[in-house]
Amino acid sequence: MTTAPTDAATSTDLAIEVRDLTRTYGSGADAFTAVRGVDLAVARGTIHALLGVNGAGKTSTMEVVEGLAPASSGEVRVLGLHPVRDRADVRRRTGVLLQRTGFVGDLTVAETLQMWATTVTDPRPLEESLGMLDLLGRRDVAARNLSGGELRRLDLACTLMGRPDVVMLDEPTTGLDPESRRAVWDLIEGLRDAGGTVLLTTHFLDEAEQLADQVSIMRAGRVVREGTVAQIVAGEPSTIGFADLGRDLPALPAEVRVDRGRTEVRTADLQPTLSALLRWADEHRVVLADLAVSSPSLEAVFLRIAREDGSAEPADDLADPTLEGALR
Amino acid sequence: MSTALDLAAGTRRVRGLAATNTRLLLRNRLATFYAFAVPLLALTLLFSQDPSQPGAGLATVATVLSMALLFPVYYNLLSVVVTRRDELVLKRLRTGEVRDGEILLSLALPGVGVALLICLVTMVATPLLGFSAPANVPVMLLGMLVACTAFVALALWTAAWTRNAEAAQLTSAPVILLTMAGLFRVVLPEAAHDWLVVLPGAAVEEVVQAAWFGVADDGSQLSLLETATAAGPGLAVLVAWTVLGLSLVARSMPWEPRP
Repeated sequence: MTTAPTDAATSTDLAIEVRDLTRTYGSGADAFTAVRGVDLAVARGTIHALLGVNGAGKTSTMEVVEGLAPASSGEVRVLGLHPVRDRADVRRRTGVLLQRTGFVGDLTVAETLQMWATTVTDPRPLEESLGMLDLLGRRDVAARNLSGGELRRLDLACTLMGRPDVVMLDEPTTGLDPESRRAVWDLIEGLRDAGGTVLLTTHFLDEAEQLADQVSIMRAGRVVREGTVAQIVAGEPSTIGFADLGRDLPALPAEVRVDRGRTEVRTADLQPTLSALLRWADEHRVVLADLAVSSPSLEAVFLRIAREDGSAEPADDLADPTLEGALR
Repeated sequence: MSTALDLAAGTRRVRGLAATNTRLLLRNRLATFYAFAVPLLALTLLFSQDPSQPGAGLATVATVLSMALLFPVYYNLLSVVVTRRDELVLKRLRTGEVRDGEILLSLALPGVGVALLICLVTMVATPLLGFSAPANVPVMLLGMLVACTAFVALALWTAAWTRNAEAAQLTSAPVILLTMAGLFRVVLPEAAHDWLVVLPGAAVEEVVQAAWFGVADDGSQLSLLETATAAGPGLAVLVAWTVLGLSLVARSMPWEPRP
């Protein structure tokens, strides 16, 4: 399911507008289409998360929006401007964080930021940049001696150096410890609260649930689900799980599965199903060991989408429809 | 934004990045040694020559300037571009306001600065040691600038097909050998001289002979105007290498590590 940008908001409300975007690598017999008709509408002052397994087309889409790669077809507008034709104006108002990046190992944190400051029109003061990402105590440390998490924070400081209106973050918290991750979440929410717009990709579904006003889930180069987290999980079943009893259960308004010694009851009507199950267990003096109940989650939807049969989609060659791939 | 403001912003970005790149060059002791010591060691060859001999010092000055073009300009830039590309530093820079050309220019400027400094030191040293002072300083400096541009282009072109920093030691060999072959063509078979003049090293020597020593091929002294005319073919060869190198770079410059 995709939604045309104007369905969500008028063009003037949109910080990022993508229409029918395709991106193909190579040509002829070797051609591979990584992005297949993607529409995105990111409203100003919101956080929009782009989710998908590896190879779903997230980074390929991001690179076109960032102006780092050309679209094969389709339209992209950032703040109403073309990311390549209006490069100077777009770059002055946007900040980009790449999935993988690098710094000169011989430069200290402060020197790196000072260098970045010379490349942006309206740089933040050094102390402010260091403070935003909790790097004040590491200012004189060479980049080669920073931990992965510190490098990621330095990267973010560079992204935000030019006070961008729109920030595009490709897996911003990868490599961060839980505390730093929370701090970055606060920072991202702060950007949104200050009127900024954030488009981010992430493999951490809790991150999307925590931060995103809107979520788009990509699969095989297409947006297959989008909306708020509540909209996306609406209609998804809740799950009741317990150790397998080795006997038949009562008739329940639910789908029952037994897998690896565990029974899963998936139901759209959690409360009546759970009541019926507990009543039956009580009447039959059955212990439901390891009983666990979970509401519909973004993770459940995500994993189901990742596992859907994609044999008709050539782009699936790159996808990794496994739990490990999904959560990597 | 107006063109003037664009230019000012671009200049500010190049200046900032070039200052950082200069700092990094000076921090790297090995790179600094090669950048300064190799050309200046060649300059000491002047002490072993008799300044009163016709054409004395010509080959040495041409060698000093060629070393200044090969080490601080060519090899240093090749090594820096490949290393920064592999470390994804170039890719990161490209996400910001700075333009591709500005990134490359800022990487080249420290080495070009060192080469021009060595040229100036040589200009001062030669008359002090009794050798010819440059006959036509503007043409000589122009020649050095054009030569720097040519070697910058060659460095970027070599970087385009160099897999990593270690491989640069091998991939730099063709340009270094061709430059040396042009420079020392007198020791090569005479039949090859006609086509060796199109090599960058030969072009540098031709410019030095005309604009610095003010002598024609037959050893006769040239007037000031004639020095400019005589330097023309060498300058044209260097411009041709620049155009060739930059056109190849424009088509093949990779900004991310080669697979």
